Amino acid sequence: MRDEPYRWIEAIQDRRDYIEDQLRGGSPVVGLTYDEGMVLLTIGRGQRKIFEVHDRIALSAIGHPADIERLRMLVTDTASVQGFQNATEDVNLHRLTNFVLAHTFKQAFESIVGEAYIIKMLLAELGSTDDKNRFTCINYDGNVRTDLTSTVIGGTEVIETGMQNYLATTSTGTDRDLAAALQLGLEAWAVGRELSSREPDDAESEETQIDTAQMHEIINAAREDGEIEAGVLETTQRGAGKFRLLTSQEIETALP
Amino acid sequence: MNDKGGFPKESGKFALQGVMNHKGDFLNLLKHANYPLKIDLPSETAQRGTDIEIAHSTTVVAVRYRDGVMIAGDRRATAGTSVIYDRAEKVLQIDGHSVLAISGSPAIAYEIARMLEHSFQYFRRSQLQELSLEGKLRMLSRLIRENLPMALQGIGGVIPIFSLYDLSAADDQNGGKIFFYDALGAHFENVNFATTGSGSIWIRGVLRYLSRFGDTRLQEMDERQATVTILRLLDTASEYDAATSGYNARAQIFPNIKTVTRIGVEDISDDELESCYAEAQPDAEE
Repeated sequence: MRDEPYRWIEAIQDRRDYIEDQLRGGSPVVGLTYDEGMVLLTIGRGQRKIFEVHDRIALSAIGHPADIERLRMLVTDTASVQGFQNATEDVNLHRLTNFVLAHTFKQAFESIVGEAYIIKMLLAELGSTDDKNRFTCINYDGNVRTDLTSTVIGGTEVIETGMQNYLATTSTGTDRDLAAALQLGLEAWAVGRELSSREPDDAESEETQIDTAQMHEIINAAREDGEIEAGVLETTQRGAGKFRLLTSQEIETALP
Repeated sequence: MNDKGGFPKESGKFALQGVMNHKGDFLNLLKHANYPLKIDLPSETAQRGTDIEIAHSTTVVAVRYRDGVMIAGDRRATAGTSVIYDRAEKVLQIDGHSVLAISGSPAIAYEIARMLEHSFQYFRRSQLQELSLEGKLRMLSRLIRENLPMALQGIGGVIPIFSLYDLSAADDQNGGKIFFYDALGAHFENVNFATTGSGSIWIRGVLRYLSRFGDTRLQEMDERQATVTILRLLDTASEYDAATSGYNARAQIFPNIKTVTRIGVEDISDDELESCYAEAQPDAEE
């Protein structure tokens, strides 16, 4: 098939359409910095979606649970071995992304005789100072995007653009506290959910007019059969490991 | 190993081998990554041992006090009759609620402590839950047992004390636990105290006395009383054991002392130790 470029390109496009179709309904994930660290937030339906990778690195993803688990283990194993062989300070997001994950994603995507990964991954790294905090998103085809203060992954590019637009227009700066970050993250999540629930004819536009009350309705509806999940990388955490999952009590206190 | 056929061939040794399910077993992961877990000795050394002088000897002690466990170690590292270092750290935090106090060959002991720390972390990160108390004890047993050939050759024996806090203990109970290991990896729970190292023989009887007949028994002591007692015990050990250091007033070198309580592992600060030392040795200046 590689001898016939058109067929290869067509096969890749079919694969892209298939994966995006599979990802479309995924519950978005929002990443935000706050005054004491970084938070990853989503609303899940049973399967845990926010994970600790290493002392200062956390991960979340949307996609097929088996693929998420497989790639989570790849990055966790790699970080653990590197951290032990060298030092934990030698484990960083740049190396994990560029030398392990991105080309693994790309090669699986372009090897059209094999299975592709149905996944979009979001990684957060707590820097030694605030300006070194990083969010990195890796698309199923191996494309990498890095953001500094906020990021999202959603089922489609339209959903992600809509959520990012909301964050860009609403966010008042990076000195927000955790409660403010959780509220902002949930509102952005609600925008993503509204965009992903549209009929196919309306799904090409990232424009959304929903107000705060409608966002809260969407969040409350999602919580009826799901649960808010949030993990933080906290500068104030004692010891080398900075990750922890927020308790349901901590999340409740931040809700409007 | 690589059922996707998609893992890159040039991504380094580890990624090349793909992902296996190690079920949270860090030693298995290291073996898979070709990390050398054992030292290959020359055959003649393996057969007849060695006369290399290995740094060892020490006094480490753990006592169960009112709030949990207090663990302490002197700071001296020796090789034969030579003092090679006077600031050695022999009480090592492993995770949020456990501490390893080491005696024996420092090189092996530090490697065991590091491997233990990474094993607990790897289990939590990969299996999404903390390793159980029994699991932690067995992991340390396994590391000590894997080191048996080195111990038998007389160059790598490690006898640690492992102390942790059992968070499942009721709020009104002391969840502090102290475990003693032998060179084969068997572990035993010492209820109120444990001590090991060359200086331990000089204080074991005192510990027994304090635990059973003391005016304030070990397990009833508050943090300050326990600290003062431990400083006196280490001072006593250093008086009779050349491989155990006491308090170095000129260089301000204090023993390492940590507490493991429900809130976690904490160091007793040098300022606090200085104050406790004044109480422990009221006539030290004379």
